[in-house]
Amino acid sequence: MSDLGIMDAAPRRVPRIRDYYEAPDRRDTTLDRWAADLNGAFVAQGARWRAWRLRPILREMERHAVAMAALDDAGLQAEAQAARIWLRRALRDQTLSVAAAGRAFALVREAADRVLGLRHYDVQALGAWAMMRGQIAEMRTGEGKTLCATLAVATTALSGRQVHVMTVNDYLAERDSAEMAPLYRFLGLSVATVLEGQDAETRQSAYGQDIVYGTNKEIAFDYLRDRAILRLKPGNLNRKLDRILPADRRAAGLRLQGLPVAIIDEADSVLIDEARTPLIISGANPQQGGLPDTTFRRAMAAARTLTEDVHFRRPRGIRRIEILPDGFEALDRMADADLDRPDTDPAFGIPVIREHLVYQALSALYLFELGDSYILRDGKVQIVDENTGRTMPDRTWSDGLHQMVELKEGLEPTAENETLSRMTYQRFFRRYACLGGMTGTAQDAAWELWSVYRLAVAKVPTNKRDIRRFARDRVFLTTEAKWQAIAERTRALHAAGAPVLIGTRSINASDAASARLSELGLPHQLLTAAQDADEAAIVAEAGQAGRITVATNMAGRGTDIKLSPDALAAGGLHVILSERHDSRRVDRQLEGRCGRQGEPGRVEAYLSLEDDLMQGPAARRVAGLAKLLARAFGPGAAGWCIRWRQKQMEAAHGRMRRDLIDQDRGMGEFLAFGGELE
Amino acid sequence: MVRAFLSSDWYRLAAIKPRLRGHVDIHRQTFRGKIWFIVQDHHSGKYHRITPAAQYMLALMNGHRTMQEIWEAACARFDDAPPTQSETIRLVSQLHSADLIAADRLPDLQEMGERHAKQERAAMVTRFRNPMAVRVPLFDPDRFLDATVGALRWLFTPFGFLLWLGLVGAGLVLTGLHWTALTDGFADQVLAAENLILMALAYPLVKAVHEAGHAYATKVWGGEVHEVGVMFLVFVPVPYVDASASAAFASKWRRAVVGGAGIMVELALATLGLIFWINAEPGLARAFAYNVMLIGGISTLLFNGNPLLRFDGYFVFADLLEIPNLGQRSNRYFFYLVQRYLFGMKDEASPVQRNSERGWLFFYAVAAFIYRMFISFTIALFVASKFFVIGVVLALWALGNSFVMPLLKGFRFLLAGPALRNHRGRALAVTGTFLFLLGAALFALPAPLTTVTYGVATPDTSTLVRAGTEGFVDRIAVEPGAEVAQGDPILHLSDPVLSNRIEVLERRLEAARMRLRAVLLIDQVQADVERERVKLIEGQLETLQGRIGDLVVRAPRDGAVVLPGGADLIGRLVRQGDVLGHLQTDAPARMRIAVRQDRVDLVRRNTRAVELRMLSGDGSPRAARLFGEVPQSQTVLPSAALATEGGGDVVLNPAGVTPLSTLDRVFLFDVVPDDGAPSTLVGERALVKFDHGLEPLAWRVYRAARQLFLRQFNV
Repeated sequence: MSDLGIMDAAPRRVPRIRDYYEAPDRRDTTLDRWAADLNGAFVAQGARWRAWRLRPILREMERHAVAMAALDDAGLQAEAQAARIWLRRALRDQTLSVAAAGRAFALVREAADRVLGLRHYDVQALGAWAMMRGQIAEMRTGEGKTLCATLAVATTALSGRQVHVMTVNDYLAERDSAEMAPLYRFLGLSVATVLEGQDAETRQSAYGQDIVYGTNKEIAFDYLRDRAILRLKPGNLNRKLDRILPADRRAAGLRLQGLPVAIIDEADSVLIDEARTPLIISGANPQQGGLPDTTFRRAMAAARTLTEDVHFRRPRGIRRIEILPDGFEALDRMADADLDRPDTDPAFGIPVIREHLVYQALSALYLFELGDSYILRDGKVQIVDENTGRTMPDRTWSDGLHQMVELKEGLEPTAENETLSRMTYQRFFRRYACLGGMTGTAQDAAWELWSVYRLAVAKVPTNKRDIRRFARDRVFLTTEAKWQAIAERTRALHAAGAPVLIGTRSINASDAASARLSELGLPHQLLTAAQDADEAAIVAEAGQAGRITVATNMAGRGTDIKLSPDALAAGGLHVILSERHDSRRVDRQLEGRCGRQGEPGRVEAYLSLEDDLMQGPAARRVAGLAKLLARAFGPGAAGWCIRWRQKQMEAAHGRMRRDLIDQDRGMGEFLAFGGELE
Repeated sequence: MVRAFLSSDWYRLAAIKPRLRGHVDIHRQTFRGKIWFIVQDHHSGKYHRITPAAQYMLALMNGHRTMQEIWEAACARFDDAPPTQSETIRLVSQLHSADLIAADRLPDLQEMGERHAKQERAAMVTRFRNPMAVRVPLFDPDRFLDATVGALRWLFTPFGFLLWLGLVGAGLVLTGLHWTALTDGFADQVLAAENLILMALAYPLVKAVHEAGHAYATKVWGGEVHEVGVMFLVFVPVPYVDASASAAFASKWRRAVVGGAGIMVELALATLGLIFWINAEPGLARAFAYNVMLIGGISTLLFNGNPLLRFDGYFVFADLLEIPNLGQRSNRYFFYLVQRYLFGMKDEASPVQRNSERGWLFFYAVAAFIYRMFISFTIALFVASKFFVIGVVLALWALGNSFVMPLLKGFRFLLAGPALRNHRGRALAVTGTFLFLLGAALFALPAPLTTVTYGVATPDTSTLVRAGTEGFVDRIAVEPGAEVAQGDPILHLSDPVLSNRIEVLERRLEAARMRLRAVLLIDQVQADVERERVKLIEGQLETLQGRIGDLVVRAPRDGAVVLPGGADLIGRLVRQGDVLGHLQTDAPARMRIAVRQDRVDLVRRNTRAVELRMLSGDGSPRAARLFGEVPQSQTVLPSAALATEGGGDVVLNPAGVTPLSTLDRVFLFDVVPDDGAPSTLVGERALVKFDHGLEPLAWRVYRAARQLFLRQFNV
């Protein structure tokens, strides 16, 4: 037999249609995790080298630039239509070749130039290319991250993959999508925005578009809601079958179409800072109905009769109640006495329930302070986020704690909410087929980004040289002295006509700062982290000469502070850090507010040994040392103690996230009985 | 400890309708007055112990009720201490990972596959983790046992037990009667090469009967036995059976009998062997019987019957105490105590289920650990002395398993264990203090270091009464014990040949002189020869005449005469230099001691003080000093009083050249008391203690280990 003219053509690769794409959960062994941890240390070092390796994209982009510029608008749009074909062909396993991406970048850049009047800088192309390669692009504030993202977003969307663009708040999502929508429409791509308060229908149709803007929280919650449905109907085939069923027999409507590609703005704060608490959907579930109000009231009444250090104690250094043996006995006696009364509460008679509820009642009475942990608004208890200082209207504490706090404040206890679904951000993001992000401060978190998400950081160079100046930290013994100095300094700068931005840690601190400036008669703007358009407008104005703005670090994020010519002459924006935050990255975000696009700027830090960072039982030792040093060598010598303390906090938060992942993983194994995880 | 009643993870279980699988049986048992249920899994052959509340929920799992309903029912039923949601989740999770329940959901197949692979891996690892006990399963004997159990059923009755009791009782009596015959030359008999072969033959046989005992005991009461295999215990193949089915037996006595059946069978075998051994003629069969008796009797009592090792005795012990999983739980309890009281972790849950268990758990944890360490090292050392490399590897493995791994785990727990998060400071402080104190006790706390040895009073050579020449003792000149002055005659010897020889010589001298005179004037050369001859004979004569003087044995110095031979000496032939007796003088007593090689350096270089206790006196210590030493090691003892046979501590070599040859080399030293008191009795024994000052224990352990290695392995 002879084989003649065998032309073994490669089989045509048809992309496998997957309904509702989710990357399968990684099941790492302990060894894998160790390897990733170790590897992360190396990966974290290669950020500049990685950025350098991105450069071929520029050559490819330039190669097509002339051809694209030669096309008229209609031609460009036709090219965009064609790009859908050739990009999809070039797509191999979620990655595009440099050649294809470069051509697409040239197309998008030309379109942006014509539609928005903005032409991407080379560094923006580098950042976009990094994101498309599944990396985190570290780009300085003011380098135009929003515009930069369009290259990656449009190219990815043209290659047939849906893109979720995540921002940190609704205002930014809305603003970015509105600003960039003309460009996308020009390229024939549909855009939608998912915002808080939208109904299910709107969301469902929004998630059907090529490009979806939204906050990480909204998208993650929608996904979690979908998972609660999918969990009960696992398997791709099941879902495909579902589609051909008549509408009334389908599984309740899914909102998302899956998790294809995500581009995350402010990636470090989304992937790291917010990943400390899991996502929880809860609701009052009548079927699992908790305990009757009377039991809560009885437990609260019992808790009020207990005395500290006799029946219970608060161990030093831990936010926790410890009921002492005498306390348990007292409770037993109360339960026994209750038996003789006609209105005996049966649940209170059960030791487990009794002790648990009294524990929660004691926690509510002695650990949670009004105005600190929660506030009362509209006759409701609202939890205050410890990190941001913002209230979280739809969050409640679990396990009866919320009810106890309500009873403590003399409110009617609400029906207990039960968890319906829960997942960690870490697991959510790892389910995306492709993940990319950009931020001004990724380098500090590079190790964690790699070991948790397998995301490498590329440090994209600035378009123009950074000429910010950093003053030495000034350390004071007391808050009083610090604010004195800040006020003096602000007055001087104000007189010189320089714009000043005073960054604070919390809204309370902002208020205090505002009061002080008012005393001195200095006109200023105060930002309360409302994160809306007004705020953005104020921040945008902060670059006017002689303007004084007080804001938390979170306020007005994503909004550029453009300098007026006068302000530029007065030395640019002066950023005054009135306190160090829990993480160095947050400080750097604030520092990044000045010196955009090679403009001048100055960063000064005013710290005191009474700052929040040095408060609390955990800081006692460091604070003591700092005071000692300050007394011996002057306050300046204690500066490093504050940085040390900051490092401790970073480590503690890192540990919390790690615990969360471990716990999540353990739960997966533990609860395997309940079917797939969310 | 406040337990959360509700769990935020409950939502994952609430709606599930679980169903107990078909291959599960549940048995009711009582442990220390508390009811438990044993879940028997016929698929995996595993047993799980659950509480009544858990059993209640398990019984409700019929595939129609949701977990929510089941949990609520359990709360209503056990309203005193209802199961919390977390506990219920844990229970369901454990049931699931043991494959005991199925759900109405599509299971997470990937998870199931991974779990299975993980279990296989774990089983593999446990099989080979301890190289001293590797198990190799062989076949399923259940049908064979079914067919044969009928014939043996009568044994497992009160009558059978009485029969056994009578047999073993008789064996005990016989052992007592023949004790000397049994133990005579024990070591020689047991460790002789041909006996080792016999023993290697007898061992698997005895063990096979032993395992058959377990298997039939299980079968008799309705259990199933599905695995027979070979376990390599310290490389010696030993059969084993899986008799875990007995765990389901309701009566603890039956469980105990299954556990103890092997021992009972072996003891019966040993008795039969003994009876045969007593009655049979010497020969191969008798030697075989001896070995059966040895294995059945001794190895059973030392190893199998010992509850501190995880062999049969342990299971019987645990069953009778009604504390299942005694080993694991005692360890857990020990660490619970550490965490609770030393680290101040008040939230730790105690593994104690009944107060009466506490003492047992604590005692067992400590005793078993010490004994296990001891046994591991003894075995490793024994193997190492035969095969150095294997032995050292085994020893390291044993060290790793029983010491280093727990220590590493402990340190990891200390440094990174999440449970310690709020107690780490205290835990580290406590551990640090403990380690510091331990280190201080070992390295810094000086402990007295002494060498104790036996000495024997030896007379000074200058006081010895020696025969100056050969001769027969003619008469004793002094009364025994009489004081004599130097030069006084003590003994008179006679040598009849001597006077004859003198006479002969005198004649020859005369003749020689005559010959000299004859040639003096004729031949000068010849005269010179003759003259020399005369001189020679004169010299010889003089020597012989001197010996006449030596026939009187005189006192070498002043003192009291001690002649151990006494009047028996008369008529005896003594040779020149023989010690006939000695003089008791007021010179200080001199104790000769033999020091073992490993101590000689200490005695020589680092002796601060010497103390002497005469065994004849009241034992009051007397200060002494090192007087002299023989600077060469010896293999022969100066006196039998130093050997173990004579009450000393030096082991003699029975195959030595002389009766006093030693096994190990010794060094001889002389010690004299400081008070200079003369010794009254030559050959009297004394305890001599060398004080080497104070030395921390660690150095001593190090030195002992070094010497052990030097001695055993030449490294």
